[in-house]
Amino acid sequence: MTQPLLSLRNVQKHFGTVRAVDGLNLDIQENEFFALLGASGSGKTTLLRMLAGFEVPTGGEILLDGKDVSNVPPNRRPVNLMFQSYALFPHMTIAQNVAYGLEMEKCPKAEIKTRVGEMLEIIQLSHLAGRKPDQLSGGQRQRVALGRALIKRPRLLLLDEPLGALDKKLRGDMQLELKRLQHEFGITFIIVTHDQEEALVMADRVAILKDGTLLQCASPHDIYERPNSRYAADFIGVMNFMPAKVSNGRLLGAHGKPVTAQIPEGLHEGADVVVAIRPERLKVSAPQGDAAGSLPRGRVLATAYHGLDLQLHLETELCADPITVRLTAQEADQIALSQGDQLELGWDAKDTRVFAA
Amino acid sequence: MKDRKPLYLMTPALAWLTAFMVIPCLLILALAFFRRGLYGGIEYTFTLENLALVFDPLYAGIFLKSAAIAGLSALIAVIIGYAAAFAIAAAPSRRQPILLFFAVLPFWSNYLVRTYAWIVLLNREGLITGLARWLGYDAEMPRLLYTEGAVVVGLVYNYLPFVILACYAPLSRLNPEIAEASRDLGASSWTTFRRVVLPMTVPGIATGFVFVFVLSIGNFVTPALLGGGQFQMIGNLIYAQFLTANDWPFGAALSMVLIAIMMGLLTLQTFATERASGAKREES
Amino acid sequence: MASLANPRLMLAILAAVFAFLYVPISVLVALSFNDGGLPTAWTGFSTRWYGELLHNRDIMSAAFNTLVVAVVSTVLATILGSLLAIGVEIRRRKGRFLETIIFAPMIIPDIVLAIALLSFFSLLNVTMGLHTVILSHVVFNLAFVCSVVRARLKTFDWSIVEASTDLGASTPVTLVRIVLPVMLPAVIAGALLAFTLSVDEFIIAFFTAGAGRDSITLPMQIFAMIRFGVTPEINALATIVMAVSVIALTLSQRLNRGGLPGQ
Repeated sequence: MTQPLLSLRNVQKHFGTVRAVDGLNLDIQENEFFALLGASGSGKTTLLRMLAGFEVPTGGEILLDGKDVSNVPPNRRPVNLMFQSYALFPHMTIAQNVAYGLEMEKCPKAEIKTRVGEMLEIIQLSHLAGRKPDQLSGGQRQRVALGRALIKRPRLLLLDEPLGALDKKLRGDMQLELKRLQHEFGITFIIVTHDQEEALVMADRVAILKDGTLLQCASPHDIYERPNSRYAADFIGVMNFMPAKVSNGRLLGAHGKPVTAQIPEGLHEGADVVVAIRPERLKVSAPQGDAAGSLPRGRVLATAYHGLDLQLHLETELCADPITVRLTAQEADQIALSQGDQLELGWDAKDTRVFAA
Repeated sequence: MKDRKPLYLMTPALAWLTAFMVIPCLLILALAFFRRGLYGGIEYTFTLENLALVFDPLYAGIFLKSAAIAGLSALIAVIIGYAAAFAIAAAPSRRQPILLFFAVLPFWSNYLVRTYAWIVLLNREGLITGLARWLGYDAEMPRLLYTEGAVVVGLVYNYLPFVILACYAPLSRLNPEIAEASRDLGASSWTTFRRVVLPMTVPGIATGFVFVFVLSIGNFVTPALLGGGQFQMIGNLIYAQFLTANDWPFGAALSMVLIAIMMGLLTLQTFATERASGAKREES
Repeated sequence: MASLANPRLMLAILAAVFAFLYVPISVLVALSFNDGGLPTAWTGFSTRWYGELLHNRDIMSAAFNTLVVAVVSTVLATILGSLLAIGVEIRRRKGRFLETIIFAPMIIPDIVLAIALLSFFSLLNVTMGLHTVILSHVVFNLAFVCSVVRARLKTFDWSIVEASTDLGASTPVTLVRIVLPVMLPAVIAGALLAFTLSVDEFIIAFFTAGAGRDSITLPMQIFAMIRFGVTPEINALATIVMAVSVIALTLSQRLNRGGLPGQ
């Protein structure tokens, strides 16, 4: 394997007694679109600020192209940050904002002019070059911030909650736009977000942070389908959790009957576990025969229509919380449903994950 | 930003303040404990006489009188100022800035000129007397200028804009839905004002009162011009110690007591603000 | 508040308060154009009292002195006060002691600061004159400039400073190209406020100007004129002084939309 662009070696950052980042190890390859995902207080912003150079790690190494840059000040790093607030200079025009970074590099005037022109073309703001930031819409401002950072052709572009300030519809467009620009420039992007959907849609790889440590780092598919912890499973998407106990090599659910699941190795007899399954992996059917059938049953508490799909909330003996089931519009059409109906629930063992309780 | 950087930005200004404010004030503090020299100089022996003299009935009387005039002025200014601030806060929100601007504008014109304007009005041959004559009042006019009343009017007039500003700040931040909630729960307008609005705007009132009181008690221009030297306030007394009586240590002692009163009041004001901060939290 | 207010009562209050605030100064302005100069009798419109001012050597020299004091102390105070404001705001820890020192010049009674400075200068055997007035005026002027600039800095987006560093700028470059231009309106507003305060300041100047006739400032001249015989010229002078303050303050206000000076 080639040398990674960025390597974190046991990176730590303590503020007094608070361990904001607590021993992180991570490799990021050239050209990756990488997402750091975590709740507030997970240390993701602190990590980002260390990569940009605004915080100096308390311990560990940050290697960029194999060289430790932990103590290199932000203005001397080939790393640029797109700020959450965009941090556009309010007294400068769009063109001046974009040119600023090149002026700092003492680029020749003519070259600055050409490159700024090109960049404005790329971010589709050539017609607004002479405007001030406060005359732009949120989406346009975001593009200026992006262009201002990209024009320096950094080795690494950091994006702090880049879409947080935009409304939902615009966010969807900008997600695609960011992917396109990343592809076009061939620059490594690290995006920090608390929005799991954003991370899954855009990134090649996602890292979940919790309390300053790395919980899981994998492709969006694996993060979603094979979470490695209950926290990760709960954090990403919707997940049903059913308590169970290990008994004679099987799992017994809360109702005392066996629960279909893939049992991981190394669970000892009598251990308490939870069985996790995604709503879209559950199947429902009208009850066959009497109540003593082998499949667990549930009573419909509520239905929620989402256009593409229908969500059912079922009261079952499997767990205290209602079980969520997601049916496609087609599936929903085939079963007439109303509140209070009894349904049989089924699923495949391979679709479950089992975690220690 | 590291903590070292701000230091070199702050140093010139802090050095200036140290040289021309902190050291001179410490000097005054020290001076208050020295003896007055035979011919007006300073004798460098420690004494508490100057401070004791402040509490001599003659001078304590001047302190009390100054406090009474300052207190009365502050009270009147707060009543008028609060009413004005309330009226501004009740105006349509697009008109409020301009109303506020014009309420505060006189505050930024020359203090002496504003005081002088009242001489013109209150003078024996002044406008008010003229107006009374014109209205057919022929009897002897009571003396208006060079009275305590004139001093109080002058102080209220000069500091009213500040009180309006201080009272307007909490009134404008008040969420109107809080007053509406009180009405909705059955309170009358007056009860709502007394039980809800007034307690939440106490900090502004306290700030306004303390400001007027502190500036009035140490004032020297208004008593000199509108009081006409008929009676003394602390400011005039301090002035006299330095420029005519030449008793600097006693003047310094008077200043220290003035500062002490001021600091005590500012502490009280901070206390009032902090007590009301529970109400403040509800605002946001 | 509108829901609690009786509109007629509110209007009456506003009318009364504004009359109280503006009638006295309006009378003064009107009298300055009264040919006879007496407050009780209007004898016709005239600008003769303004003309008289120009020929009054004492007033002209006092006006010149005031201008010197105001300009020099404003320039010094603006530089010192702005740097102080930036320094205080980028400091993470807020010291109570520091806050007190910066706040003190605005609340300390003028008379106390005046006598303190008088004692200080005379004990050091400094010859007093316009220069000592300037030194003294900078004390409160820098505090006011600092407070205006700080008010602006509170709404300042500090991430643009980091953005500038991130794009490769050194600290001095960031200060000159980013912080200063963004802060300029507030700095000018602070300077105008300082200028007004200095032009109007009487007590501290009175105590620190020394005994010489050539270091009398305009407020000192006005005080003397009011005290020792009112002449009609003073109405004209008062009108001009008021106009200068009001214009400077209105400009300051326009530049600094963050809030009223002193707020």
